[in-house]
Amino acid sequence: MNENSPQTDLLIQFLDGELPREQMDSLKKSLTENPALREELENLRLAKEAVKSYGLKNRVRLIHSEMMQEFKKTAVPKTSLIKMITRHGLRVAAVLIVLFGISTLYQYITSTPEKLFTENFKTFDLHTTRGNFNTILEDLYEKGDMQGLIQQFILMKTPEAKDYFLAGNAYLGIHESALAVKTFLKLGQLNKTNNTHFYEEDLEYYLALGYLGSGKPAKALPILEKIHADQNHPYHEAVSAWLIRKVKRTVKA
Amino acid sequence: MDSRKQLSDKRLIELLRSDTNPDEAIRYLYRTQYSMTAAYIKQNSGTDEDAEDIFQEVVMVFIEVLKKNKFRAESSISTFLYSLTRNIWLNELKKRGRAKLRDAVFEKGKETTEMDVGYLMINRELKFQLMQLVDKLGETCKKILLAFYFENQAMREILQNLDYENEQVVRNKKYKCLKQLEQMMTAQPTLANNLKSVLFYE
Repeated sequence: MNENSPQTDLLIQFLDGELPREQMDSLKKSLTENPALREELENLRLAKEAVKSYGLKNRVRLIHSEMMQEFKKTAVPKTSLIKMITRHGLRVAAVLIVLFGISTLYQYITSTPEKLFTENFKTFDLHTTRGNFNTILEDLYEKGDMQGLIQQFILMKTPEAKDYFLAGNAYLGIHESALAVKTFLKLGQLNKTNNTHFYEEDLEYYLALGYLGSGKPAKALPILEKIHADQNHPYHEAVSAWLIRKVKRTVKA
Repeated sequence: MDSRKQLSDKRLIELLRSDTNPDEAIRYLYRTQYSMTAAYIKQNSGTDEDAEDIFQEVVMVFIEVLKKNKFRAESSISTFLYSLTRNIWLNELKKRGRAKLRDAVFEKGKETTEMDVGYLMINRELKFQLMQLVDKLGETCKKILLAFYFENQAMREILQNLDYENEQVVRNKKYKCLKQLEQMMTAQPTLANNLKSVLFYE
């Protein structure tokens, strides 16, 4: 049984799109003539819109909660990320330090004079200090023809200081360290005799390397210590305290 | 529909307009648009909570705009939502009495596409009052009205979910509930008039 107000019932049916066509014209006429009825219709329409908005709000709110949960699950919290990076970073750093330590220790323990020579020997660069490259030995040195240079050096009746120095380096280049030492010592003697200082500082460094290469670290050590102690020595940077430690160890071994 | 798939604006609008099940389309909006809104709100003195509230409102307004066929599609959904976000946030700042900040936000956004969306939005306070009124209805009333007007269920379906004798009883109940809500609203004439001026703007 319908206990509702007939007018309001018609208005609601009209709003719901359920009003029979035959009653539509009559209602429209009433609405035109009756402001109170128009007012009621507007208010009912507002109520209907309010319900729709309420429903939509609830739906969006539910999906919102669901989505926020999803975002939280997929996003790594910043603090955790920082902690994770810090924790893992520290772990990685610790592992690297340990590995570095092990590697250093291994290098230290397994050091031999020959190994130290190989690690530290670099071909002398003529361009760095010298100007004219017109001798045969210089040309051969530039070309990297150490064997050819040595042959030419041997044929020389009166080699000059530069020739000794290049020949000594050539011997080092072909791992004939003992012959290199011998050649460098001759240059040292020549300087002493002539009271000259040709290649004096270069000579010290390469002579020390020659000693290492020929398995005589005890002879290399004082030269290297001298270079290391002299901050103005051109090879000061090349001779670290760590190198001296390793040389000392090979002396003791 | 899988909301992780790419959707064209056209398809997304169709889904959001539909009464059947726009949930996945709403999820899609969240997945594609929420971060932008959140970033905007937080860059303009808002909090995470503000961003969440504002986005919910943006989604609601957008769907209402679509259902009323007020979206002219002159811009992309993304641009439109940005404009809605900005307008809603500006109103919120105004409400909070942060005039200086509001002006700064307004100036900053001047170069962006302006849309006449102001009329589409009900003041947050008005909407809050409206929701409170509906909330005051009894649970059964809310169920019936929501089922009928929001879910678009037929009386027969509603009857299946409620313990009533027949459809006419449900219909009478629905009548009383709607009338009750209408009377609650007319008891607050200022609210009713303000709401009508916004909701029935043509």
